[in-house]
Amino acid sequence: MSRLTFELRLIVRSRLSIAALLLLLLLSTLAVWSGMQEVERQRQTIARLAPLHEQDVAALAARYPASKDAGNPAYYTFYNTWDAPSDAAFLALGLRDVAPYVLRIRALGLQAQLYEGETFNPEIALPGRFDFAFVLIYLAPLIAIALLHDLVSGERQAGRLRLLLAMPDAARLWRRRVALRYALLFACLAVPACAGAVLSGTGVVALVIVLAVVLILIAAYLAFWTGLSMVVSARGWRSVTNATTLMGTWAVLTLVLPALANVALVRAIPVHQGVDLMLAQRQTVHGAWEVPRDETMRKFVASHPEWRDKAHVPPGFHWKWYFAFHQVGDESVAGQVRDYREGLLARQAWTGRLGWLLPGVGAQAVLHRLADTDLPAQLAYQDEIAAFHRRIRAFYYPYLFNERPFGTEDFGKRPAFAPRAADPLVPWGDVFAVFVLAGVVLGAGLVGLRRLRVEGAD
Amino acid sequence: MSAARSAFSCITRIAREEWRALFRDRAAVAGLLLLTVLMLVAAMTAHEHQRNADAERTRYQVQANHEFEAQPDRHPHRMVHYGHFLFRPLNPLAAFDPGIDGFTGNTLFLEGHRQNSANFGDVRQTSLLLRFGQLTPAFVLQVLAPLLLVFFGHAAVARERESGTLRVLLAQGVRSREVVLGKLLALAGFAGLALLPALAALAWFAAAGHAPWPLATVLAAGYAAWLLLWVLGVVLVSMCVARGRDALLVLLAAWAVIVILLPRWVPDMANTAVALPTRFEDAIHVQREYLALGDSHDPNDPKFAAFRDRLLKQYGVARVEDLPVNFKGVVGMEGERKSSDLFNRYAAAAFDRQERQAEIIDAFGWASPALALRRLSMTAAGTDLASYRSFLEQGERYRYALIQGLNRLQAEKLAYADDIDRSKENRVSREHWQGFPAFRYEPAPLADTLRRAAPAGATLALWLTALGALAWLLAGRLGRAVR
Repeated sequence: MSRLTFELRLIVRSRLSIAALLLLLLLSTLAVWSGMQEVERQRQTIARLAPLHEQDVAALAARYPASKDAGNPAYYTFYNTWDAPSDAAFLALGLRDVAPYVLRIRALGLQAQLYEGETFNPEIALPGRFDFAFVLIYLAPLIAIALLHDLVSGERQAGRLRLLLAMPDAARLWRRRVALRYALLFACLAVPACAGAVLSGTGVVALVIVLAVVLILIAAYLAFWTGLSMVVSARGWRSVTNATTLMGTWAVLTLVLPALANVALVRAIPVHQGVDLMLAQRQTVHGAWEVPRDETMRKFVASHPEWRDKAHVPPGFHWKWYFAFHQVGDESVAGQVRDYREGLLARQAWTGRLGWLLPGVGAQAVLHRLADTDLPAQLAYQDEIAAFHRRIRAFYYPYLFNERPFGTEDFGKRPAFAPRAADPLVPWGDVFAVFVLAGVVLGAGLVGLRRLRVEGAD
Repeated sequence: MSAARSAFSCITRIAREEWRALFRDRAAVAGLLLLTVLMLVAAMTAHEHQRNADAERTRYQVQANHEFEAQPDRHPHRMVHYGHFLFRPLNPLAAFDPGIDGFTGNTLFLEGHRQNSANFGDVRQTSLLLRFGQLTPAFVLQVLAPLLLVFFGHAAVARERESGTLRVLLAQGVRSREVVLGKLLALAGFAGLALLPALAALAWFAAAGHAPWPLATVLAAGYAAWLLLWVLGVVLVSMCVARGRDALLVLLAAWAVIVILLPRWVPDMANTAVALPTRFEDAIHVQREYLALGDSHDPNDPKFAAFRDRLLKQYGVARVEDLPVNFKGVVGMEGERKSSDLFNRYAAAAFDRQERQAEIIDAFGWASPALALRRLSMTAAGTDLASYRSFLEQGERYRYALIQGLNRLQAEKLAYADDIDRSKENRVSREHWQGFPAFRYEPAPLADTLRRAAPAGATLALWLTALGALAWLLAGRLGRAVR
């Protein structure tokens, strides 16, 4: 223990090391705080929009106190949906800054409404958010490198290396030094993250899972960079060469290779069906005015057999035909919608696999999955909207097909959106992959330092 | 004269020696080669991506134009709702710096009574990999090239001092400023080699007629200034710090703050400082004001009574049925005019807020020249917010002309009596759809782009001047410190 305090005193005396550690603590605290602010802002936005939306519907109900059918109310009534940030969202804000987390839809064709963008400043989204994921993935390795790159070479340049290696517990000395620096780095990241998780957690089980994954992830990711620093340190190069090698590796692993991989992924899995399905849907919906109505109704009934007996459309405009052709438009692009989503999910899956090799990508994927802010989260929100859209249509169809009047009290019966319960789906496989990768590198580093003793003793 | 010549020859000799040392270092050569290869890969993939994206968007645009023209005979108001699609063409220089292209939608749906957002941006269609940065020439030069200069330049002066050769040089009558100038020259040459592929790519771009020369020159000058800035900074730190490894750590810290940290942190702060309303609440507010304008589908809407009376007076008739134009179409035009004013007001307010955020970011150019460089680069490449706004505004002007053209068809080609009879099929010939001109995106005028890039250029110049002056001053003192 006294040796540890001695080492600690050494670190504290090195102004550079202590400055680096304090900077990391400051940045991760700041990142956690700003992430929590952002999550709070998003929650407030969602809360602020609900009454505004109710006013909107109330005004509409006042405008159509008694309709002879539900056509006008169904056409004009919007429904609010929202995707509340999860308790862990503050860790990694992910796509929540570029994809809508509140969306209004109505009973018309869903595919024309689902991909609506959110107002955001693309110049701000471009560099990415300053959140905990950023501090962990980009900045923490830099600090680790600063602290560890001259572990051995510093001693050699100070002329103490032979003496240290001659000591009976030399291997333990390196391990102790590394472990202490590792522990300090870990604390600088883990304390703010845990504080944030405790402050924003609501459920005990969820909190425990979040804490466990975050701590494992921080430990594994730091272990990777610590191990790498040891591997390089044990090569016996000069400090400058160590720093250059480590920084070069960092740049390649966190900047160059992911960017290259992105290029490869975008080329290998082209996703432009989004535009195709939008164009196709419009053709069907607007072409419907020229298509014989019985044909449209036949297509509609095929997927909604319960309205078979009420599908006849009288001459002149009828709302049930109008809503039916919107639905038929959606159904006509169902295959393209599936292809589009499969393309997106394939990109996601390959990114996950890439994370087995690139620890930065792996950590990023795990954190964002934990925070429920990645592409699958966005698709899950779209699924929820689609399910809600089915409920909305099911609410209006009886009025439209049975030609029942729709009055003020019917507005009160309309379905309400029930957001999905956020349960953190932990990608244990990816966590394990990061863990294994880190373990291998850490092991290599320890072996390297042990060899150093043998060679030094020669 | 001969003194100047001897000083010059002294500087070049020092530079030559430094070059020799740099190129003896296999890591430096490998680093330079790696950067060159990355640059070429980046340039080729970015160029190919740009060409593919542009070809794809052109193809979609042709398809959309064709579908619009191929619509059958129908009521013009059906066409108002059928609408049109616009695809944002990609500026050729986006191959150099794609800027915000991946983060903005590139598909704009135009319809009556509505302004839609541009959808299907790349960022929502990729996994989070895009957030690690895109491999483009701009990324290589902005992020990686300075790192290379830091790695291989940090010891330039410190090495001489540590080994004692600096004292020897000065004792032999070499002025300290000559030493520093020599080191600067050598490192600048090294930076020039790193920049060369990019300059060649830009020159090829301009020569092949893909991009105007002035913009390519602005980009070249901007990146040259950026690398020169790092050359100055690296030598400056190397001069001031006692040991080479301290210089390296200081420079790496500076790089991490200037290139990695601040470009993320500052925009985040700007985003908090100026909040943007969600599309959701804007839509509700717009809808509320829109309803207050009256329903232009309903010719009897009391909100349009004053308009009707004015029209009746203008034509000197007593009833709308007696008007020489179809009153429904004319009301549609009036409604579209009013609602477009309303939409434009909200759209402009949203963009103005985003520009206020951009101003905050730009103001931090003095803290991180990386921000100034990014502004200059995106502006010259036509991939900044202003270009995007210009596309949306041009799209809106096109939408307005299109919708009003269709409303005018309704007003002039259809009789009011027929039009209010719901049991009657009213159609106009499809030839009319074919008569509408296709959308043509006009890039911003050159002078405009240059004017917008100027402040960022000035920030970079200021940084260069400050660092240059500081280097000159401290280089003069270097001799005194050693003696």
